[in-house]
Amino acid sequence: MNRVQRLLIASTLFATLVAAVPASADIAVVVNANSGIDHLTRSDAVNIFMGRYRKLPTGNVALPVDSSSLKARFYRALVNKDLAEINSYWARLVFSGEASPPQQIASGDDVHQLVLQNMNALSYVDSAHVPDDMHVVLTLGE
Amino acid sequence: MKRLLPVCAGLAMAALACSAEARPLTDDGRLTFSGFGTLGLIHNNLDEADFTRDISQPKGAGEGWSARTDSMLGAQVGYRFTDELDTVVQGISRYHDSGDFSPEVSWAYLRYRPDPGVQLRVGRLGWDVYQLSDSRYVGYAYPWVRPPVDHFGTLQLTYIDGVDVTFKQPIGSDLVLLKLYTGRSDGDVFIGEGIETHFDVDKVYGGHLDYETGPWRFRAGYTEVESDITFSGDFPDQLDAQFDQIRAFNPFFDLTADGVLGDAFGFDRLKLYSLGAVYDQGPFQLQAMWNRSKTSADGAVDSGFVSAGYRIDRVTPYLIYSQVETTSDGEGGSEGDFKQKTYSVGARYDVTANMALKAQLDRVHIQRPGFLWRDIDSDWNGGWGSIFSLGLDFIF
Repeated sequence: MNRVQRLLIASTLFATLVAAVPASADIAVVVNANSGIDHLTRSDAVNIFMGRYRKLPTGNVALPVDSSSLKARFYRALVNKDLAEINSYWARLVFSGEASPPQQIASGDDVHQLVLQNMNALSYVDSAHVPDDMHVVLTLGE
Repeated sequence: MKRLLPVCAGLAMAALACSAEARPLTDDGRLTFSGFGTLGLIHNNLDEADFTRDISQPKGAGEGWSARTDSMLGAQVGYRFTDELDTVVQGISRYHDSGDFSPEVSWAYLRYRPDPGVQLRVGRLGWDVYQLSDSRYVGYAYPWVRPPVDHFGTLQLTYIDGVDVTFKQPIGSDLVLLKLYTGRSDGDVFIGEGIETHFDVDKVYGGHLDYETGPWRFRAGYTEVESDITFSGDFPDQLDAQFDQIRAFNPFFDLTADGVLGDAFGFDRLKLYSLGAVYDQGPFQLQAMWNRSKTSADGAVDSGFVSAGYRIDRVTPYLIYSQVETTSDGEGGSEGDFKQKTYSVGARYDVTANMALKAQLDRVHIQRPGFLWRDIDSDWNGGWGSIFSLGLDFIF
């Protein structure tokens, strides 16, 4: 067995192990730890992420950010809809010019950066992996 | 059919090029491009009358198959100047009043949002007269192949050139929304055999109050449309020719087709009253709407529908009941009036997160034939018709 083969086997084993661990149970809606926002209700989160009313408790305009890797889990937990339904919902609002969807960010690191830089940004992370510099304002059970 | 081919080819290519999100075209994300479209196929079993999607379509789908009625393609370009100020231009190509797929600018506006509770738009705006009326061509946004024709098919306008303002106010976890708008517009509609009606709208104004609570959205709306109406086509031409003959003998005879038809229909001043409710909770969707449009000749168009759908994994089966009835001179059921009911069953299948395939069967009970049908046999008194439709809707 050469090194490449060993590496392949090891990584396959690792992937199997990771897959076998149940996906951690919750999604955390997060803001910058210094944003001054302590807590949001579920309906606040629906209003902000679904474009109904985007005002933060601080009075500022909320900047919701979708994190592509967790997006499907997040909307399932928030409004019990899958991505096709979410896209369908936004098609109505975008093509009638009523509202714009959250900013779409592909990488979790970029989401982290954006929340660190912007006091009005909100996004979501797996509740098992909340970085220290983010503050959880709402936990959505899955 | 020849004229359709390039459109269909374009739609198919657009569908293949689909990606999941509205694409930023610049690194800073200020310029965005997105679009929507439908490839639709209709089968009509009636040889007595041709089916239309709305009164802007001069020709309908005759007996057999047709791709003209529901196929369309729209595209939107947006540019964000600041977080508060942006602009949107949207165009659409569909079979409409010009008798072809010539594209038109459906919206072009500046939008100013100084606060999450206030939005001001200036320019060409969607006519938001009923719930869903300003997204009625975005097939991907709803479960049906097309919005119920009995209810949405009678709308006279698609856009207004003017201004609207929206106020939002949360009350606890509920939301109240007030939208007011005013502007000008124009449009051509076909209200019967050989009568094309041109609306030169001096003034359209109205508003609606929405109340959102949990999964419910309720709306009450009111709109007035003041227009100069002119008629063209075979019927007004014949009428004018007859009036000219009379005038040859009597120079004081002053009737014109526009005057006579204008008085008869009373389209110069329309008042539209509407109510709507939408329930959207997880997989369950329920919608109900009602509208009464009054003309200045004391006629009315009453329409409404109820629809229910339930999503099971990727498939959303649904049922719709809709009806429309016109009354002239405030009395019901006279000769020239139109009345029909439609029972529909269908399903939407989400192929991907930006493409849906739909099939729908409409059983239409035409009690008195009228202006939503074309090329009506003169001896036809109505009856039951079956419209089977397939649709492929996409966004990009």
